[in-house]
Amino acid sequence: MSRSYDRALTVFSPDGHLFQVEYALEAVRKGTCAVGVRGKDVVVLGVEKKSILQLQDPRTVRKVVMLDDHVCLAFAGLTADGRVLIDKARIECQSHRLTVEDPVTVEYITRHIAGIQQRYTQSGGVRPFGISTLIVGFDPHDSTPRLYQTEPSGIYSAWKANAIGRSSKTVREFLEKNHRDDLSREESIKLTIKSLLEVVQTGAKNIEISVMESYGKVTNLELSEIEAIVSEIEREKEAEAERKRSRLAATAAGQAAMTQRAEES
Amino acid sequence: MSIMDHNGGSVIAMVGKDCVAIASDLRLGDRALSISSNFQRIFPITDRIYVGLPGLGTDVATLRERFRFRVNMYTIKEEREIEPETFAHLVSSTLYEHRFGPYFIEPVMAGMSKTPSGGYKPFIAATDLIGCLNFAKDFVVAGTASSKLYGVAEGLWEPDLEPEDLFETISQTLLNAADRDAFSGWGAIVHIITKDKIITRTLKGRMD
Amino acid sequence: METSFAITGKGYVLMAADTTAARSIVKMKTDEDKIKTLSPHLLMAYSGEPGDTVQFAEYVERNIRLYQIRNVYALRPAAAASWIRRSLAESLRSRKPYSVNLLLGGYDTSSYNPQLFWIDYLGTMTEVPFAAHGYGAYFALSLLDRYHDPSASLEEGLDTLRRCIDEVSKRLVVTPGKYKVKIVDKDGVREIEL
Repeated sequence: MSRSYDRALTVFSPDGHLFQVEYALEAVRKGTCAVGVRGKDVVVLGVEKKSILQLQDPRTVRKVVMLDDHVCLAFAGLTADGRVLIDKARIECQSHRLTVEDPVTVEYITRHIAGIQQRYTQSGGVRPFGISTLIVGFDPHDSTPRLYQTEPSGIYSAWKANAIGRSSKTVREFLEKNHRDDLSREESIKLTIKSLLEVVQTGAKNIEISVMESYGKVTNLELSEIEAIVSEIEREKEAEAERKRSRLAATAAGQAAMTQRAEES
Repeated sequence: MSIMDHNGGSVIAMVGKDCVAIASDLRLGDRALSISSNFQRIFPITDRIYVGLPGLGTDVATLRERFRFRVNMYTIKEEREIEPETFAHLVSSTLYEHRFGPYFIEPVMAGMSKTPSGGYKPFIAATDLIGCLNFAKDFVVAGTASSKLYGVAEGLWEPDLEPEDLFETISQTLLNAADRDAFSGWGAIVHIITKDKIITRTLKGRMD
Repeated sequence: METSFAITGKGYVLMAADTTAARSIVKMKTDEDKIKTLSPHLLMAYSGEPGDTVQFAEYVERNIRLYQIRNVYALRPAAAASWIRRSLAESLRSRKPYSVNLLLGGYDTSSYNPQLFWIDYLGTMTEVPFAAHGYGAYFALSLLDRYHDPSASLEEGLDTLRRCIDEVSKRLVVTPGKYKVKIVDKDGVREIEL
């Protein structure tokens, strides 16, 4: 009898779909948005924070976490699942150092995480992780910034810039239009925030930014720094709109003048 | 030389009038070499129970952790404090679980237990390293100086001692027995437990 | 012969360990570092069975680091010592126990106190003002009984440490040549040239 309990939940539907995995992706789509941008020699993670309740301690609600000195991870989807996966990844980071005396590469830990996620789509009595992750960092003795993504199915891939979670499609399209390979630190941060503002209505206080500049050098931006950049972006948008308005006004005035002249003659 | 003598140390407990006392020396050695003169091997279990754990140093710490865990679980599940008699059996069964690979500790317990009429009566007990309980009415001893402690206690102890007299008796017993034992000494700590308070005193001893 | 000392002073713990790696009667190496930095304010000197020592020290190092990554804050010295002791105690009753003796020195950044723990391969642990492992302990401990001062300045502490090392060189048949000395205080860990 007990056998019926540990049968796999994830079985193929007749047309070749794994519904549980697709539902997991749906959970990711409902999660808050996370963006990763790779610059020339910097990589930035930005996440949309759910507004915390008035009496809640904001330090206990984190969506960007350290896996090791040189690897950061952000996720979208079920926070509870994220915690479990992060803990497995952190143990692997230390275990890897212990067994081979070397820190993990970003690709290695990505592959490890994706491997775990895949296993949970094919084992008995478990359900897939309801999260996608963005993993950023630098490999040891290397100055190339790295950015990877994993999905509930166990797919992983490398990116120049990408977004996961709510409205990730809009954000990705924005990134496709605006990303360049040679972004400086400031430009990368700005692009990350700008892309997040596409979907975050509430502005700076609901954005969290982590910047990794080289092996083991991570900074989390203060709210004031993010606010400064957001207002800069808003000023630029305002100026752009102003320019558009004045151009429209000029055109309208020109047209009016022409009509008047036509009537006079 | 036995493993029981590796780190040295002794514990004694005595019954008085409406009080009990438990005392231990403070030496931790590595065979003949003294390492510490402030090694605690008596621990509070509740406000009215103390346990002394003479024997192998590593097991002092391990058993203390195990007893703390099991007593905390008991307190949470039963929603009341453990009684000395119950604790003695808990100690006994914890040790007997390791009958064929024992912890090298011979615990000594002292406490005040509740009577059905709402009063308190003194309780002491000791076990061997596999948990064989010995409920005594006068005093119990254990550790490297146990043979000497028996002798001195036999001569000094008398029934119905008041707390301060009991303190004097247990202190003299321990200090004089420890002076005859190379593996015990280097100061002592004494706890007197009455129904509503604990008196703890640290004693200086010969430092040789 | 392998020897390590540690002493506490005013706001610091000093640790010294010899630097020889020997196999039988042969010195294989004379610049081995046997004091590991476990966290920003925690040092661990290890000695014992070659192989076990490094293996166990690295196992401890990784677990302490994992704790710090998981919880942002590092374990305080007493908590770290307790965990390490338990690891050794569990190992003692396993099929192949680690034979490693440890001195754990740390600076508690919450209570602003230096702390020193003596731990042996059995999992025996005690907090002490000064400690030593190995044959050097037989000479150093009695010397420290006379000269140790828990409120000594760093210079005075180093003098006491030099006395220990000189005494061991003078009296022990097979003396370790060089020592590595490290200190942990409010500013963290650093190495000191004697």
